[in-house]
Amino acid sequence: MEFDFATQLGFRGLTILTFLPTAGAVVMLVFMRRRPSAYKATALVTTILTLILAIYLATQFQSDTAAYQFQENESWIASLGISYHLGVDGISLLLILLTTLLSVVAIAGSWNSIKDRGLAFFISLLVLETGMLGVFVSMDLFLFYVFWEIQLIPMYFIIGLWGGARRVYAAIKFFLFTFAGSVLMLVAILAVVWWYASNGGPLTFDILTLQQVGFPGATAAWAFAAFFIAFAIKVPMFPVHTWLPDAHTEAPTAGSVILAGVLLKMGVYGMIRFCIGFFPEMAVKAITPVLILSVVAVVYGAAMSLVQPDMKRLVAYSSVSHMGFVTAGLFVFNQQGIEGSILQMVSHGILTGALFMMVGFFYDRTHTRMIADYGGMAKPMPVAAAFFSLFVLGSLGLPGLSGFVGEFLILVGVFQYAQVFAVLASIGIVLGAAYLLWMYQRTMFQPANEKWLSLKDLSAREIITLVPLVGMAVWIGIYPHTFLNLLHAPAQNIMMQVQPYLAEHSNSLLRLASSLFGGF
Amino acid sequence: MQASDLITVLPELILLVAACAVVLVEPFLKADKTAVLAIALTALVGSGALSLGLAGEDRTAFAGMLVLDDWAVFFKVLFAVAAALTILMSSRYLEAHGRHLGEYYALILFAVIGMDLMAASRDFIAFYVALELMAISSYILAAFFRYRVRSNESSLKYFLTGSFASAIMLYGISLVYGYAGATNFQTVGQALAGASGSGGEGVSAGVLLAVFLVAIGLAFKVSAAPFHMWTPDVYQGAPTPVAAFFSVGPKAAAFSVIIVAFIVAFPAQAREWGVFFIVLSILTMVVGNVFALVQTNVKRMLAYSSIAHAGYLLAGIGAMGWSGNSYPGHGVLIYLVAYTFMNLGAFGVLAYLKTQAPDKFDYSLKSLAGLGRRSPWAAVLLSLFLLSLAGIPGTAGFIGKFYVFGAIVQADLVWLAVIAVLMSAVAVYYYLRVIMYMLFREPEEEFAVKEPISGGMAAALALSAIATVVIGVVPSWLWDAVVSAFTTLFN
Repeated sequence: MEFDFATQLGFRGLTILTFLPTAGAVVMLVFMRRRPSAYKATALVTTILTLILAIYLATQFQSDTAAYQFQENESWIASLGISYHLGVDGISLLLILLTTLLSVVAIAGSWNSIKDRGLAFFISLLVLETGMLGVFVSMDLFLFYVFWEIQLIPMYFIIGLWGGARRVYAAIKFFLFTFAGSVLMLVAILAVVWWYASNGGPLTFDILTLQQVGFPGATAAWAFAAFFIAFAIKVPMFPVHTWLPDAHTEAPTAGSVILAGVLLKMGVYGMIRFCIGFFPEMAVKAITPVLILSVVAVVYGAAMSLVQPDMKRLVAYSSVSHMGFVTAGLFVFNQQGIEGSILQMVSHGILTGALFMMVGFFYDRTHTRMIADYGGMAKPMPVAAAFFSLFVLGSLGLPGLSGFVGEFLILVGVFQYAQVFAVLASIGIVLGAAYLLWMYQRTMFQPANEKWLSLKDLSAREIITLVPLVGMAVWIGIYPHTFLNLLHAPAQNIMMQVQPYLAEHSNSLLRLASSLFGGF
Repeated sequence: MQASDLITVLPELILLVAACAVVLVEPFLKADKTAVLAIALTALVGSGALSLGLAGEDRTAFAGMLVLDDWAVFFKVLFAVAAALTILMSSRYLEAHGRHLGEYYALILFAVIGMDLMAASRDFIAFYVALELMAISSYILAAFFRYRVRSNESSLKYFLTGSFASAIMLYGISLVYGYAGATNFQTVGQALAGASGSGGEGVSAGVLLAVFLVAIGLAFKVSAAPFHMWTPDVYQGAPTPVAAFFSVGPKAAAFSVIIVAFIVAFPAQAREWGVFFIVLSILTMVVGNVFALVQTNVKRMLAYSSIAHAGYLLAGIGAMGWSGNSYPGHGVLIYLVAYTFMNLGAFGVLAYLKTQAPDKFDYSLKSLAGLGRRSPWAAVLLSLFLLSLAGIPGTAGFIGKFYVFGAIVQADLVWLAVIAVLMSAVAVYYYLRVIMYMLFREPEEEFAVKEPISGGMAAALALSAIATVVIGVVPSWLWDAVVSAFTTLFN
């Protein structure tokens, strides 16, 4: 098939997509500094336009190939072989759709809850969106790193300026954890680039070129480790997850939605692109440790959720558990595992985002997040309780909603690889049902707390904010084909990359087994 | 000496004339010193522009002591810009402290002449004389608030440690002369390459002692640990714009000499001085960053941070010696330019706050609390400069680090790069803490700071901010300048 992906659009779709939010932010800063309704409207319109553009790009996307599409490639810093190279495949496209959708939701959801320094807040959210989109469209390591780091700054301010009581601590912890990981990644980036440049290749930061290289032994081993640690912190995997409960809990609602919905996914995305894309051999060698850490995260996150007295912290720990599923599914390297893992990312983004949104709506009314302070909320707020139940059920994996599809595919994939991990991971699902339903019961039913009887139910704005999330959860739950269709080709591509090493790996597993059990 | 030799030092002659003019004009002025400021500024702009116009020239003058090549041009322009920004930041600050005197401008100009000649010198004697010209002007500048104890202490410390360093370096130079029989860099290089046995018989201990003594003397000037003790006290005591100038100008001049002298005069001992600078860089990075962590005075914190930055730069120098390749040096030059703008900018904002509230603002973190609400522009600008110092992408600081660390990795010193990046992760903490105080905390002490920032200070801060962002986004032109500087160095 001869198809020129560079010119399929006829305009610079990805550049416009990435920088449209920043353009909106500039307009707000210059023209409407003192008019809250104007800058809020501009922020909302900007994110909606970005979402529409993302959907348009999705309709133009050729889903039958793993090739990167809508590519743009300009030389940027010639002395180092750095270029402004953009492109997307099915995986990044799906994450872009998620990002643009959640950005709209985050802005609509914080319409009235940000009273202080609103302009700075909405500008931060828009700049953050540019940073996140940039990460997903970059085809150049330098560009990727720039976006990866830049999105830390608005997030740091969002947590630190508009967060809860311990916001300053949470903001610094978030920044330092991620930064420490990413500077190691910087050295790894430099190391692979210079290794290639001094072993016959040109000096280039182009991701596609470097994916073809095949880095040898020692360089690959520790560069893989550096990349992996950076991304594992972001995911976050056990045991480097400790920044997450603080950051998610202290962030304002919109911050939590974006953190859980998109920022965590950047870690997995990085693993796919670099840990697996650059070092397939090392990725195969890492399967067992990654699976062990993932299963620990699944069970540990769920167990921690069970004992949280704070609703937001409970949802935060449930993210650790759900992201454990994602990394487990990715690292078994079969079709179901990989596709389930990416679909689970999208589903988790939608459902956890929605749960944070709901907690935020309750908090706006009651100013408490403690489960013990609630009770009988279904009485004054029946509509909210209905939405909440839907998201809780989706999150615990009820068939027909998005959470089920992802987790099911992941479990099928993991089961094929090693049954024991699938069995252990399913403990997480059981616990998930327990902590979510228990929380729902304690907050929504139980004897009503007199204080809350006069609360108003969700407003029209709040309902409109939630409807797209419900729609997506149901869509993915009932007809996941639309989204899985985008993932077939990239998943095949990942499997092809690791195939040669996987055979060797399973042979060595067999040898290990036969030496242990005396041979067959 | 021929008449054409004077063209080689024409930019410095302009500055010299201007400096004398400043001193002569000043007595005839009343309170308003705008005239001397204008003279000094015009001279700096003229000297910088003239240097730029002389780019591409390749002249040697005064019996090989001074040259005019792209290397010298690169640094002369940098020094002119740094000094011009400093002057723009100074006038209101000095007025607020009642010390707005013409000598200040003359001394800055003399220091710039010294720095220019350091970058242009290719001879140990010429270099030493230029260094002293710069140093003596600096000692006086540090004591410019002579009625203040801290300012005097600053100057005295600077003078004592500076003279001590000069003495050590002079001893090294005299040993070099003893071994090589010459003071010209190139001649020394050829002589020592023969003397120490390029055939592989090892390097003579005496020559190494000479090399290390020169290195130690220069390490004092760039405030590398363990020769850094003077830095925090000097920066804290000196007038803030002067501290800003010290942290960029003399430091860049010393780095220029380190690169030129060690590449040209001591290439045969590259491996040894490479190791020496690597060890020094690790110490400097650790000491600078760890001590900066515990500072509550922002000016002092910036002093330790400038030590840390010297550490990153020295790591580049070390990698240059270790690999015998000038590539890491390219990164050092880019870093120096980036550092000049962001550090001047950061000190500039502090100077502005001090000018506006001389009594209430005492450079402590606490007095910065809630600045974001009172004067958003100052807070945003200081945040930008601090993020750049921290090395966040999109700013000049990141580009500098990227080039230097990249070159260190290329020199097969991955472990050194790991130390450097981990140390810069530590640094993020203390830079962010300042931002945290400014933006996240409520004010503890109210003082009004006039906004928008106006006059020379506004121009200086705007220029620094624009340069910080432009270098961060499109650094290619800077790279071209660095490459041509290095090319002429090896001719």
